[in-house]
Amino acid sequence: MEIIQVVGIGLLSTVLILVLKEQKPVFAFLLTTATGILIFLFLLGKIGTIMGTLERVAESSGMDMIYIKTVFKIIGIAYIAEFGAQIVRDAGADSIASKIELAGKVLIMVLAVPIISIIIETVMKLLPA
Amino acid sequence: MTWLSDWLRELILVVLMAAFVEMLLPGKSMERYARLVLSLLVLLTLLNPVISLLKGDASSQLALAMEQAQRESGWGSGGDTGDSLQEILRQGQLLAAGSREQSLQLAAGEVAGQMQEQIAAATGVRGVNVTVALEMGRDTGGGELPVISRVAVTLPEGSSPQHAGGAEGGGAADQEAPGGRIHITPVEPVQVRIGAADAAQTAEAAASGEESAGTAETSSTAIGQQAESIVDLLVQNWNVERSRIEVKGAGGAEKS
Repeated sequence: MEIIQVVGIGLLSTVLILVLKEQKPVFAFLLTTATGILIFLFLLGKIGTIMGTLERVAESSGMDMIYIKTVFKIIGIAYIAEFGAQIVRDAGADSIASKIELAGKVLIMVLAVPIISIIIETVMKLLPA
Repeated sequence: MTWLSDWLRELILVVLMAAFVEMLLPGKSMERYARLVLSLLVLLTLLNPVISLLKGDASSQLALAMEQAQRESGWGSGGDTGDSLQEILRQGQLLAAGSREQSLQLAAGEVAGQMQEQIAAATGVRGVNVTVALEMGRDTGGGELPVISRVAVTLPEGSSPQHAGGAEGGGAADQEAPGGRIHITPVEPVQVRIGAADAAQTAEAAASGEESAGTAETSSTAIGQQAESIVDLLVQNWNVERSRIEVKGAGGAEKS
């Protein structure tokens, strides 16, 4: 019943933040960030379990590790970028949050470049000159 | 038909994984981009037989391209790999130097053993302690060669008086007779001889004072002669510079 713990932490911190926001908005922001990091760290172990299972299955079925690596990189970039953007957005800096998201998108697209190049080269070779 | 089953299995796995990962993604904003990359991966898996027919192994090519892209993207991992490469090279040099040092020590031990045998064979002195230090020198052209940098020979205690008798040929009359016998087991009788000489010295101090003084002189000159002969031998056999050889007696030091 870990979800209860997570929701409990979330509710508690929300109440505290609501109280703090009137007195000290800076501390409210710090509390928000700390709660976010806490929940993220709590989930990190679970995500690790999923990743480990995926990796093990792929390894045992003889799948190429480069695919798994690419997929993991996508997930990592997405999570980190999303998390950072949300924290910054909570602090009220929406423009910076959108920049962080942009960086995440670009980095995910960079991962696609080698794949696209291989596919395009193959297609070009298939086509008659 | 195995390639077909392999290909199908890989395709199914990639599609399953893509669906799974898509659910795992955190927010809506990244979803489109991640989906694009995942669908490209699925497409690559679909095209895998064609690619392997045309260009070789697809996954190894992808790995190569990924590595290259990572190296080209300047910050973060790119700089790290450069640093780690230098680090690896440095460690390799350290390891090579260490193993060279070790092999030099081994070779020095061998050389010392051979020198010891040669000295024993040429001068008849057994139990000589030889220490050899080797170093890498650039003697012939570009190649590195191990060169003997220092040889230290320590003569065993009590060997000198025996050789004093042997070298001079004459000496005292009672020294000559045991000298012939000693050739078989040289060391022990030599020590006994010193004790006897000392005993004789203490007992007949008054009677033959001049004689004992004479033996002391002959022993010191004998050490010198012995050292000379050992140095000559080493210079001749091992082509070592005379200044690098050091011969010590058990008590005093004699250097060439």
